[in-house]
Amino acid sequence: MIKKKSKKEKLYLSDRPPLSLPGKIGLGFSYLVLFSWVVAIVWPLYQMVVSAFNGRQEQRIMANTNFEFSTKHFEYLFTETLYLQWVKNTIFIAGATAILTLIVVSFTGYAYSRYRFAGRKASLMAIMLIQTIPTFAGITAYFTMHSIVSAVIPEFTRQMMLILIYTGGGIASNTFILKGYIDSVSTELDDAAKIDGCSNFDVYRLIIMPIARPMLTIIALWSFIGPFMDYLMARVLLTNPSSYTLAAGLFTLISDFRTLNQPAFAAGGLLTAIPIVALFIVLQRQLVSGLTSGSVKG
Amino acid sequence: MKVIMKNLGKKYEGREEFTLRHIDLEIDHQDFCVILGPSGCGKTTLLRMIAGLNSITEGDLYFNERRVNTVPPKDRDIAMVFQSYALYPHMTVYDNMAFSLNMRKESKKVIDERVNEAARLLQIENNLYAKPADISGGQRQRVALGRAIVRNPKVFLMDEPLSNLDAKLREHMRVELVRIHKQLGTTTIYVTHDQTEAMTMATKIILMNEGKIQQVGKPDDFYNKPENIFVARFIGSPTMNIIKGKYENGKFISENNTITLTPSDKDKEVLKNFEGKNVTIGIRPERFESGSEFTDTFETKIDVIEMLGKEKTLFTTLKDGSELVISTPGHYKYEEGEVHTFGFDVSAIHYFDSENGERINK
Repeated sequence: MIKKKSKKEKLYLSDRPPLSLPGKIGLGFSYLVLFSWVVAIVWPLYQMVVSAFNGRQEQRIMANTNFEFSTKHFEYLFTETLYLQWVKNTIFIAGATAILTLIVVSFTGYAYSRYRFAGRKASLMAIMLIQTIPTFAGITAYFTMHSIVSAVIPEFTRQMMLILIYTGGGIASNTFILKGYIDSVSTELDDAAKIDGCSNFDVYRLIIMPIARPMLTIIALWSFIGPFMDYLMARVLLTNPSSYTLAAGLFTLISDFRTLNQPAFAAGGLLTAIPIVALFIVLQRQLVSGLTSGSVKG
Repeated sequence: MKVIMKNLGKKYEGREEFTLRHIDLEIDHQDFCVILGPSGCGKTTLLRMIAGLNSITEGDLYFNERRVNTVPPKDRDIAMVFQSYALYPHMTVYDNMAFSLNMRKESKKVIDERVNEAARLLQIENNLYAKPADISGGQRQRVALGRAIVRNPKVFLMDEPLSNLDAKLREHMRVELVRIHKQLGTTTIYVTHDQTEAMTMATKIILMNEGKIQQVGKPDDFYNKPENIFVARFIGSPTMNIIKGKYENGKFISENNTITLTPSDKDKEVLKNFEGKNVTIGIRPERFESGSEFTDTFETKIDVIEMLGKEKTLFTTLKDGSELVISTPGHYKYEEGEVHTFGFDVSAIHYFDSENGERINK
């Protein structure tokens, strides 16, 4: 009667039914697609890293050259180009954009969520529809607006114009997102706060804003990343190399044969990731969602 | 504090009809006043108008002699407990309770004293530094109460505060709420759709339906002297039996002649004017008598028996198919499918005018 277990029986623990043969083939296919996707993303990145650190590369990146570790491309970037200036410019523009967007969207999102006013739906829809027209279509208007304003206020630089354009572009969709988030916060919280002695502004500042913090963080992060990614507006609007953003500045390293230096471009691209990653790490703790749980219902 | 409403009315923006109209009420100092009604009857609107969260379209609202129509909520000296508790999720229990005092710029010492006192009263001292998400539903309910108590308000407003609790806890909190109300000596206005809460807690009930007040009075009046058919059906569980019929030759005869009833001498007096008219009677399930020694008896078939322990509820049908609910002491023996004879306790019959549903035997 005593039966020795020759080998441990493998228990099937998944809640899903076991895969049939077509299922297994399908699964294999899914993995194949996913892996090729990963390769498509990782391979260029890998090439970028390798080129950036390869001392054997000159001006133009050549395939099949030997590898020799060197930081000379980085040195070139810092000594021969305005790279640091570009970083400063970009962080200034990105930071200002993020802060401005946050302030404006805070008000609009809260207002659209909590107040009933004439044209509320219509205006929201209108802004959303206008969004579908690319920002670049208004470039002539931006130039005119800038020259008018800078004629009155000489301190109004092209960079500031760029900040306003980025901010304006982000308001509509971010208002929509924030409105949706605040909608999910019970209005009884507002009522309770009002009875407790809050003004409308206090309600937002003390109650809604802390609850909406994860969403506000995401909005800030995206607004911050935007100027890092945008090439076109910066390239057209900013004419002086010392006022370039990173994207516009780095592009001169691959577009113009006088300043051509492809490995330095790769190195610059690599370094661009640092401020964004740093910000992401700092803000990560704010991104925890589910803050509303426990406020309402048992 | 006395709360007086004079011809109060509310119409929401974009609505055709008034949600509430012609509300005249006086709630006395230290009353535990329950506003009762089915959903959509305007009871929460009325409470929010008293709180100042909804505007008053017409009429006047007085707190004692002070007209408060346009006074903002924070200056009305009120506190409100919400159905969803509405605790601030990003603050600790302590901060939640201290919030209103902080807004009023009270000193740290006073705040600390008051919060601790309220926490002691509500037995949540051990949870003061937890976030609302980390405590149980019953504890959240207490925190919501505590937040109201620390303000030391003149009027307590509660909007269905117990509806999110489980049955046992609700029973417990009912008693607790009344105890706190007595301890604080304030006026409480409590909104609910649960007639049990109203009957057990209130010193004064206001029953509303479709934006109108149906009856105002003590719980006892509601059960034993409902002013109209709506009140009669709303209060009491199982629901009161309502039988339509006619009053002829000093006797009530139901529509299909299944029930005949001779009113008591006292009721005959007032029913004189209704000779030959349509009259509806109401009788509570527990006011039927079992046995054949009564004069006006009727036969009914028992379909379903609900055993509740201390009593049995019999769901029966009369010969003409109309239904009648009878409750009897739990130890009486009945069988499903059995035909049984019942009589009436004639002193407990409610007579209503079929025309307008108003009570006749006042």
